[in-house]
Amino acid sequence: MPSQTLDKLPIGATATVLDVAGEPALQQRLLEMGVLPGVEIKVVRFAPMGDPIEVKVMGYSLSLRKSEAAHVQVSA
Amino acid sequence: MTDTTTSGRHARQDKHTVALMGNPNTGKSSLFSALTGTRQKVANFPGVTVEAKIGTARFENSEITVIDLPGTYSLSARSPDERVATEALLGRIEGTPKPDGVVVVLDASSLDRNLYLGTQVLEFGLPAVIALTMMDVAETRGITVDAKKLSETLGVPVVVVNAPKGRGLDELKATLHRTLHHPGKALELSYPEDFSRGVDTLHVNLCDLGVELGFKPTRPEALRLLVDGAGPFFEECEEVGGEAWTKQFFEIRELAGAGRSLSMVEAQTRYGAIGGWMRDVKQTETREGRTKTDVVDGILTHKLWGSLVFILAMGVIFQSIYSWSGPLMDAIDGGFSALGSWVGGMLSDGALKSLIVDGIIPGVGGVLIFLPQILILFLFIAVLEDLGYMARAAFLMDRLMSRFGLNGRSFIPMLSGFACAVPAIMGTRVIEDRNTRLTTIFLTPFMSCSARLPVYVLFIAAFVPEMKVLGFIELQGLVLFAMYWVGVLAAIPTALVLKKGILKSKATPFLLELPSYKAPRIKAVGRTLIDRGGSFIKRAGTIILAVSILVWAAGYFPHSQAVDDQYDAEVATAEAPYDEATVEFDPESADPSALLPFYEVDSAHEARVAAFEEELQDEAELETAIAESKKQRNAEMAKLAAESRDATQALNDYAAWKDLNDARAEIENQRAGHHLENSLLGRAGHLIEPAVKPLGWDWRIGMAAIASFPAREVIVATLGTIFNLGGDQDEESDSLREVVKDAKRADGTPLFTLATGLSIMVFFALCAQCAATLAVMRRETNSWKWPVASFLYMTTLAYLAALVTYQVAHALGA
Repeated sequence: MPSQTLDKLPIGATATVLDVAGEPALQQRLLEMGVLPGVEIKVVRFAPMGDPIEVKVMGYSLSLRKSEAAHVQVSA
Repeated sequence: MTDTTTSGRHARQDKHTVALMGNPNTGKSSLFSALTGTRQKVANFPGVTVEAKIGTARFENSEITVIDLPGTYSLSARSPDERVATEALLGRIEGTPKPDGVVVVLDASSLDRNLYLGTQVLEFGLPAVIALTMMDVAETRGITVDAKKLSETLGVPVVVVNAPKGRGLDELKATLHRTLHHPGKALELSYPEDFSRGVDTLHVNLCDLGVELGFKPTRPEALRLLVDGAGPFFEECEEVGGEAWTKQFFEIRELAGAGRSLSMVEAQTRYGAIGGWMRDVKQTETREGRTKTDVVDGILTHKLWGSLVFILAMGVIFQSIYSWSGPLMDAIDGGFSALGSWVGGMLSDGALKSLIVDGIIPGVGGVLIFLPQILILFLFIAVLEDLGYMARAAFLMDRLMSRFGLNGRSFIPMLSGFACAVPAIMGTRVIEDRNTRLTTIFLTPFMSCSARLPVYVLFIAAFVPEMKVLGFIELQGLVLFAMYWVGVLAAIPTALVLKKGILKSKATPFLLELPSYKAPRIKAVGRTLIDRGGSFIKRAGTIILAVSILVWAAGYFPHSQAVDDQYDAEVATAEAPYDEATVEFDPESADPSALLPFYEVDSAHEARVAAFEEELQDEAELETAIAESKKQRNAEMAKLAAESRDATQALNDYAAWKDLNDARAEIENQRAGHHLENSLLGRAGHLIEPAVKPLGWDWRIGMAAIASFPAREVIVATLGTIFNLGGDQDEESDSLREVVKDAKRADGTPLFTLATGLSIMVFFALCAQCAATLAVMRRETNSWKWPVASFLYMTTLAYLAALVTYQVAHALGA
């Protein structure tokens, strides 16, 4: 399946998480917060200074930095 | 309860302890308050910056101690703060009772994610009850949760509660009571075989280690350790087990993962199970349109509108702590001065009077003076947090703060630091990440707080010429502005060094839930205010008071009798030429005196002058008004004097009394100055003179700097005393400004120059001369390490910066 990283998705886009990588602490935190393979994720908005981004996942709003979102592979 | 006999009642009376666990924003705190009412206290955990509340709930004849543990998303523990929840759950924290059961609080509107922590807790196997909150919020989003099915699936009783409305509380207590007596089984999830085997192997291995660890680790704990592979528990095992253990641990870990990361295995197992359960338990009906929160967020996190609202909100918060707290603070200040003079009037001169009037009363006042700012800041924080806006504020500011290794949550405390570091440091509780919180606490005192302003105002007015730069910028204003930047500029490299060096945290993930907006709960806000205010007074107040008294003692002792005798003699000499009526006249005395009418006329004149000085800005206008008032006074006095010959005599006596009174005040001020120079403080000033000389200071400034340890602004009053003006000087007072300009060194050269003034201001911009800040730092970090480090670091930095400032300015001829 073609993939890209979460930080590259445009506002309003919905995608499925394919893989979550990153340094152990970050990976674990992302997984715990519900960002894990198979889950649907939607980009809601960027903060006024362009970072962090707000996503909808598992029915709630989550803010994460672009540098963190770059470790999340999503379907294109 | 009709069947309860007295003896039966006694037998049935039982006591239990339960822990309350759940994600943040689930309504856990309101549930805790609803269960325990006002019967609660704060439990401090040694070595960590988080705390828990402990309260008591009653159910029939049993007493249930409830521990409200900090809200978390998971039990994984990478920092001591996160480990606390697990330790408390297992009853391994000294001074905190071991829970017999647990209430797992789950938010129905976000059930999947809430159950992640839920499954972790249920695996520990303590008797558990689930409290399902936010059912109404879930409903508005089209989510229906079947509590009964959830209970059947998990094998744990589930009670739907709505704490703010008081619903489900009795049922929760009854269910809890039943469960504590008839516990169910621990939750078991099916992990991949390799993983389960790994947990078992590690569990056996840990049990062997158990003797040295001092406790017997449970299987769920082995699971946590296996997955986390880091954190305080891991370090403990490493220390006890040595290299051999660590090697073994990583071998077990390697096998358990079978090529996958263990966090991934854990998350997929948990969320896999949760997803399966949810098919039966939860029904989601897709709603058209956006939720209220989405609509509000469209504005509050909008590029333009969101930023505007944010700037406005921050402006209001800053204004209110900076200036709206002013009247309250003035009232406290005025109240304590009045109390001081009232008490002082009843005591005879001596050490006891000075202790009470100059030590204890201002010390207590010095503690209470912080309350308005603390309460105002926490009013905003509590309302905004409850509302859900704090998370948005962090979302908006994260980019900016992340450049300094902080995160968006650091912004409000740092901003508040410009008003006062004390409430600001208490406000760092909103920062979940431990290292970021410690960094923010350490940096906040660098923000130029309002207590530094008097120091700046005094020295800028005395030494910076009133002129314009580039034709329109006031030089004095520019220097003041620069002083505010000194702290910020020092804070930036400090932040980077702290984050990269001492705290050595890699960029900690900043994953932040943006909770749905809710109406603030007035009761909860009120409780937060009482909590924060009370804990400040109890825990920081005592330290501040103690320091104030110590510094008072250092400025009082040894109080030499010889000095007193010398000035008593001077007073006697001054009084000798005057007659008794003049010497003995006391306007406060109840005895009617012929001098009193003149005194009253004169006082009225002085009150008018004071009022004019306040109101009239124009110098010429002011002079005319004062001259007018003087004319009026003289006319009134002449009229009184013309009434009789005695009255004429009384006028003369009154004029003589005024001269004598000035002379006596002068002597008293000299006496106070002399005592201060002789005191331990004065001697300390002389002692450190060689060290402060390169800063352009003499012993008097050195001493004033030491005396200002309880609070920076004290330097102004101390300078007043040492220059024989009396201790009631403030930065606006012309006489102090003049004296500061005229003060000479031993060799006759001026003591204060622009270079000295700048060096003092830079020193005070950077130093940690504030006992209250250090006391609050101690309280919030739960350790003396941070305040001591802060004091040493800031003082060194302040010294070096003042040194460079003076030497450069001096070389440039300032």
